[in-house]
Amino acid sequence: MLKLKRMMYISGSFSKTALLLLLLSLLGKVSAQEVAGQEGSKKDTLRTFGPRFGVDLAPFIYYFTEPKIIGAEVSVDFEIYKNLYPVFELGYSSTSESEETFDYESVGNYARVGIDYNLLKAKDRAWHNTMTLGFRYGMSFFKQSSDNVLIYSDYWGNYMPDPYESSLKAHWLELTGGIKVELVSNLSLGWMIRYKFLLNPDMDPVMIPALIPGYGNGVNTSTFGFSYSVFYMIPLIKK
Amino acid sequence: MRSRILFVIISILVTGCISVEICDDDNNSVMVAKFMTMKEDLPADSTVASLSLYGIREGRPDSLLYNNQPSINTFDVPLDPHHDFTRFVLHLGEQTDTLELMHHQEFYMISYDCGFGNLFTLETVGYRTGMIKSAEIIDEIVDAETEEDDVHIWLFL
Repeated sequence: MLKLKRMMYISGSFSKTALLLLLLSLLGKVSAQEVAGQEGSKKDTLRTFGPRFGVDLAPFIYYFTEPKIIGAEVSVDFEIYKNLYPVFELGYSSTSESEETFDYESVGNYARVGIDYNLLKAKDRAWHNTMTLGFRYGMSFFKQSSDNVLIYSDYWGNYMPDPYESSLKAHWLELTGGIKVELVSNLSLGWMIRYKFLLNPDMDPVMIPALIPGYGNGVNTSTFGFSYSVFYMIPLIKK
Repeated sequence: MRSRILFVIISILVTGCISVEICDDDNNSVMVAKFMTMKEDLPADSTVASLSLYGIREGRPDSLLYNNQPSINTFDVPLDPHHDFTRFVLHLGEQTDTLELMHHQEFYMISYDCGFGNLFTLETVGYRTGMIKSAEIIDEIVDAETEEDDVHIWLFL
């Protein structure tokens, strides 16, 4: 009678993920060294400063997953002090599914603020590659609704909750780590791993959100996230 | 070129984490109870010679979940999603007691493949006749994904 939930991963073991991330780190490092070599040869003693805008490409991948999640995220950071980058991120995500035993929808916006600290020692002042550790505070305003939910129970009788809708606010903290590599002048690619802690998991006493925009599944009080972004820095100041 | 390689690897990474889930026939939230006894002031496992058990279902006939199950240390039972309590009648040989579990519940999506389930939070455990001497909630959360070694309550005999 005891029920076992069996998860069969196609290739999603943690070790494989870690291996791929390591590979990415190495590729990033190689790229960074190449860029450093190019820039080092110029012996540029000036450093450009300006807002660096980013677009997260990961939501485009989620569009092809099941469930289909539609989303977009942009970010901006600025080096206000040596190796310190305050960050602001803004996004939107939604999912809407109609299955045999339920209809579910979650849609909303989110924002994160935080700071990244660059651990990578610059070989010269023109260097913009970074390896950062940081934190974020995230907040999401979203709506979720369910209808036609059917929970089978042979012993107690099937349970059908009433149609339900709620407007919610979620907030969470993130520890972040990532790499940005400047491919050409002012244009960078980067990835970031996020470990998130949901601060108000009891936000809805009736239905636990299956998608908190910007966070993930509300059943998990802590979870991993991932972003892969392209960045462009507007070179406003050179000094 | 290198950025393209990076992008392909990231795509493999993300899609590689997608899981295929095998769902149960129903989404019952199953609570696991373990029989215990006190030995030298310490809790120790206890095994009963025989267990019969059924749930008290309003408007429905009694239906045994366990029927003279011999030599048993733990039992698992589904909780009632229609009420904020679940009652079971236990027969241990000649002795009988009624176990009353007070709980509140939310529903949640197990996954898009498996649909919704109930997440119960146990509040109190009651008993009536004295066959059960005391009870302790070990894990108050009972969801639809109970694992083999989960234990939610201890029943001291």
